[in-house]
Amino acid sequence: MMRKRILVGSVAAAMLIAAGAFIVPPGSDANAQAGKRLPQLDTGDASAQPWKRYAGWPVRDASKFNTLANLASPPPPTAARKLTGPITGDSTKGAVLVADRNRGGSCLACHTMGPAGGTALPGNVGPDLSEIGNAGREDKWLFNYVFDARVYNPETVMPPWGGHGIFNEAEINDIVAFLKTLKSPAPYKTELDNPDKRPAPVEKRDNLDPIENPGMWAVDKAQELWKQKSAIGFSCNTCHSDPKESFKTWAASMPKWEPRLNKVLGVEEFVTRHTKATTGDTWLMETDENRVMSVYLHYLANGTPIKIDTTSAESKAAIERGKALSARKVGELNFACTDCHGKSANKWIRGQWLGEPKGQADHFPTWRTSLQAIWDIRQRFQWCQVNIRADELAPDAKEYGDLELYLVSQNEGQKLSVPGIRH
Amino acid sequence: MAEKPRLKLPKEAKKGEIIEIKTLMPHVMESGQRKDKDGKTIPRRIINKFTAEFNGKPVFSATIEPAVAANPYLQFTAKVEESGTFKFSWTDDDGSIITAEEKITVA
Repeated sequence: MMRKRILVGSVAAAMLIAAGAFIVPPGSDANAQAGKRLPQLDTGDASAQPWKRYAGWPVRDASKFNTLANLASPPPPTAARKLTGPITGDSTKGAVLVADRNRGGSCLACHTMGPAGGTALPGNVGPDLSEIGNAGREDKWLFNYVFDARVYNPETVMPPWGGHGIFNEAEINDIVAFLKTLKSPAPYKTELDNPDKRPAPVEKRDNLDPIENPGMWAVDKAQELWKQKSAIGFSCNTCHSDPKESFKTWAASMPKWEPRLNKVLGVEEFVTRHTKATTGDTWLMETDENRVMSVYLHYLANGTPIKIDTTSAESKAAIERGKALSARKVGELNFACTDCHGKSANKWIRGQWLGEPKGQADHFPTWRTSLQAIWDIRQRFQWCQVNIRADELAPDAKEYGDLELYLVSQNEGQKLSVPGIRH
Repeated sequence: MAEKPRLKLPKEAKKGEIIEIKTLMPHVMESGQRKDKDGKTIPRRIINKFTAEFNGKPVFSATIEPAVAANPYLQFTAKVEESGTFKFSWTDDDGSIITAEEKITVA
């Protein structure tokens, strides 16, 4: 802490002495490529603190559940709950509950549920329940499977609807009563409605064509920003006058373990810390300046196969931590990254395709056509969590660093193509 | 930073060739129909007119209405008989006019 303050102080003093004529260390670009000690703000946060969720994102109290930084969820049940008698729920109410996207997020997101469940774009993460009423399951089994399926299958991806208090017992009785009425296969109106026949989405747009991909406009903006002088008279261009050459491969080697910060640094956090220490500009993560600069730095390395440090002891340890985090159950819906993008990868959750980890790192930051916005990988992580009703972390959280390193390590050899374009 | 229009047309063409021209103008295209979170109408602000001319002669023009989505994209064709310059203009509701040019060589 002290050392850093001294460092910052001495830089400021040097600048005062030089009266604006900052002496650029010769070959600073070469230093950057060689990974030598770089000017970098080693203290404080790289994103707005305390982190405030993006405007327009759902707000829901998820403080009782795990996050990637915190363990808080109630423990799984140890035994199945006993029923006092046969299920006497109201199947009509159950039919409404299974389709209610505000409550459970809709059972149909993962299960086809016959004609009564409605057959518009059900998912296939879970088994087809269209004929569950003929399966000869006991009431107790059905009740507990909905209440908290972990009593029967500790590896299940089914959310603990009762265990996490999303539905109460009476509501689960209604749902079970509805399940017992399901006795005939779903008549799909079109093949697209059938998740087993629905073709996987293919991205054919040319993501590097600025007419097709507004994300490309960030490249122009970044080039202006590159030369824009800060309050103390410096710009990126002061040291890096030939970015096309000097950053030809750099972004493909990120993220990396940073011993001075004891965490994994991605391109975005590096931009914040390096800019602060050099030009003095404050380009916090998830601000427009940071996003366009991240797009540009990735863009300059387009075509380069991803190759990160996976062999040093620190990187290995970070990858192991990232792997463990990817398997941690988080949020009210109790999903781990691996539930959707491992066990259920290449399946449909409603109309959304669950991708594999491979192929998820080469196009970030990416343009989201549905949102008319650029998202970097950290914002994507944050959305995954909010979407499964977990609290997200600040974008510069060390847990995201570990997770990013683990994700990118599964994408080694993939060639960068940034900005991507996705729905 | 002002947004700049995006153009795509060939740099060279044969005499009499029909070429394809793609134009895209980054713009919010606020329809005037939406309300903000306090219930107040968000004022209309769209690109209401587009023109394209070649060597001073009109080639294509369009009156654009509020139903057109953000970042209006127009694609059209033109027959070129001689080398020259395409000039494009987009008129904003606020009165400003954004222009762009692109040269083409006809062999």
